[in-house]
Amino acid sequence: MAQVEAAGGGLAPKGLTKVGRVLAEVGPSAAAFVFLAALWEGWVRFRGIPPYLLPAPSAVAARLLAEGPTLLAEGVYTLLEALLGFGLGGVAAIGAGVAMAQWRLLERSLYPLAILVKVTPIVTVAPLFIIWFGFGLLPKVLIAALITFFPVLVNAVTGFRAVDPAALEFFQSIGASKWEIFVKLRFPSSLPYLFAAFRVSVVLGLIGAVVAEWLGADRGLGRAILLANQNLDMAGLFAGVFLLALSGMGLTGLIRLWEKQVLFWHETWLTTDELTERGTADG
Amino acid sequence: MCRPKVAGPVTILNQGASPGQNREPGRRRRPAIIFSVTGPLLEVRSLSKGFELAAGYLPVLRELSFQVGAGEFVAVVGPSGCGKTTLLRVIGGLLSPSAGKVAIAGQEPDLARRRKEVGFVFQTPALLPWRTVLGNIRVALEVNRVPRPALDPEELLRLTGLADFAHYYPHQLSGGMAQRVALARALVFNPKLLLMDEPFSALDELTRSAMRYELLRVWEQTRKTVVFVTHSIPEAVILADRVLVLSHRPARLAGELKVDLPRPRHEEMEDSASFREAVRWLKSRLRAAA
Repeated sequence: MAQVEAAGGGLAPKGLTKVGRVLAEVGPSAAAFVFLAALWEGWVRFRGIPPYLLPAPSAVAARLLAEGPTLLAEGVYTLLEALLGFGLGGVAAIGAGVAMAQWRLLERSLYPLAILVKVTPIVTVAPLFIIWFGFGLLPKVLIAALITFFPVLVNAVTGFRAVDPAALEFFQSIGASKWEIFVKLRFPSSLPYLFAAFRVSVVLGLIGAVVAEWLGADRGLGRAILLANQNLDMAGLFAGVFLLALSGMGLTGLIRLWEKQVLFWHETWLTTDELTERGTADG
Repeated sequence: MCRPKVAGPVTILNQGASPGQNREPGRRRRPAIIFSVTGPLLEVRSLSKGFELAAGYLPVLRELSFQVGAGEFVAVVGPSGCGKTTLLRVIGGLLSPSAGKVAIAGQEPDLARRRKEVGFVFQTPALLPWRTVLGNIRVALEVNRVPRPALDPEELLRLTGLADFAHYYPHQLSGGMAQRVALARALVFNPKLLLMDEPFSALDELTRSAMRYELLRVWEQTRKTVVFVTHSIPEAVILADRVLVLSHRPARLAGELKVDLPRPRHEEMEDSASFREAVRWLKSRLRAAA
């Protein structure tokens, strides 16, 4: 019988140990990463490219080792800004989506306004936030929240509407109220849409935090990158960028883990075995 | 409308209910169990229904009149697109009639629906994929704002042959099993009237045939009043006490057949002369109506 909590998934073939499965999963991309780094290293050394143009991966790695703790602390601060912004923006967006789903008038009046703010490039608004809220944590969180808000709102509104019409009819047939239909049907149905938005938004939040730091900050990885750039310290810049990329991967990975817990019933999380075994439970 | 007379109680699971056992003298509160009533449980009188479309008025049902007695199993057949589903929705109070009247145990359909006296089984099971089989049956109880004593969900699982699948998720079930869950969910409020809208039409032929007898087995134990819409004439004949034939849209009553087969029904009856005769007669009526 198909198991809900079947381990593994994706491309990993069956019949391997857990370690083997992990290796099969990350092996190809790790190999590609090492290969490209080696190519880059060889290119920089062979052509004698000056370090203020392009540092060798070994130089970046050395910098990461040397300044690891400092960079990591800055990185954690930026991650905090991004996560707080993501949380704030996500919660606000879902709240707005719920309100819009309940009151059509609210949707008709506010949604176009939301689109207007969305198409305004965030970098042009961000300086205002620095002026209003200073150089501390708050403007970064707000900018990250603003940039996170719209993908979640759009998908929430779409997801709340994308319900199985037959299930909707069932709820009507048992006399469920609009709110009960929302809680029991519309919200759970929207979860695949919400998580798709979360995966995009969480990275956008990181971008928002970094951009906000560029415009004026006393801490953070974005500021460290900006300083390295101004000093033509390319190894420092790449070290910062590398850490940012790792943070982005970590965040999307966390979202995927969370998604797997919540959306175990959704097609995207059923393993190939479960999909082929689908509907075999017969009595 | 006068309220139907109460003849005697029949508990839905027929578990040792002796007449009068569940009746408390002097109490006017409606009992939880279903009473068999004399006179029709469902009455449809001069029912017409149409829709205002951009292209104009579309009449779907015209002057339909029929009755369904308590505990009776009535099948409705008709050409595709003739308005069978619309008829069920009007009976169930999901749509209001354009003209005419529907009464379920003497009540307006909408009231009967809100009192959870009508159970629906749709063409697709429409289960919630994030809930287990048991959870899907319980969801109906969670929106129980007009409290009506419900049946034990686990008991219903046993009745519908799902006992071993209580904690399965819908994606782990076959189409037939999913429809059984839908049936159990429709029965959870112990409704007086069960409306079924081509519930087996999405299943393969073998499963479909098995599900017919499965439904009959459940029905023998519950004796619900059933209105069963189908486009399969053999299905209508093997299941029903009476088959109504609807005409092409706008649907009128084009024929009616009392099925002359004893109960409980068996698969062998599909070879009997009266079964074949009934199918032949209905086919000709349907052809004439289409």
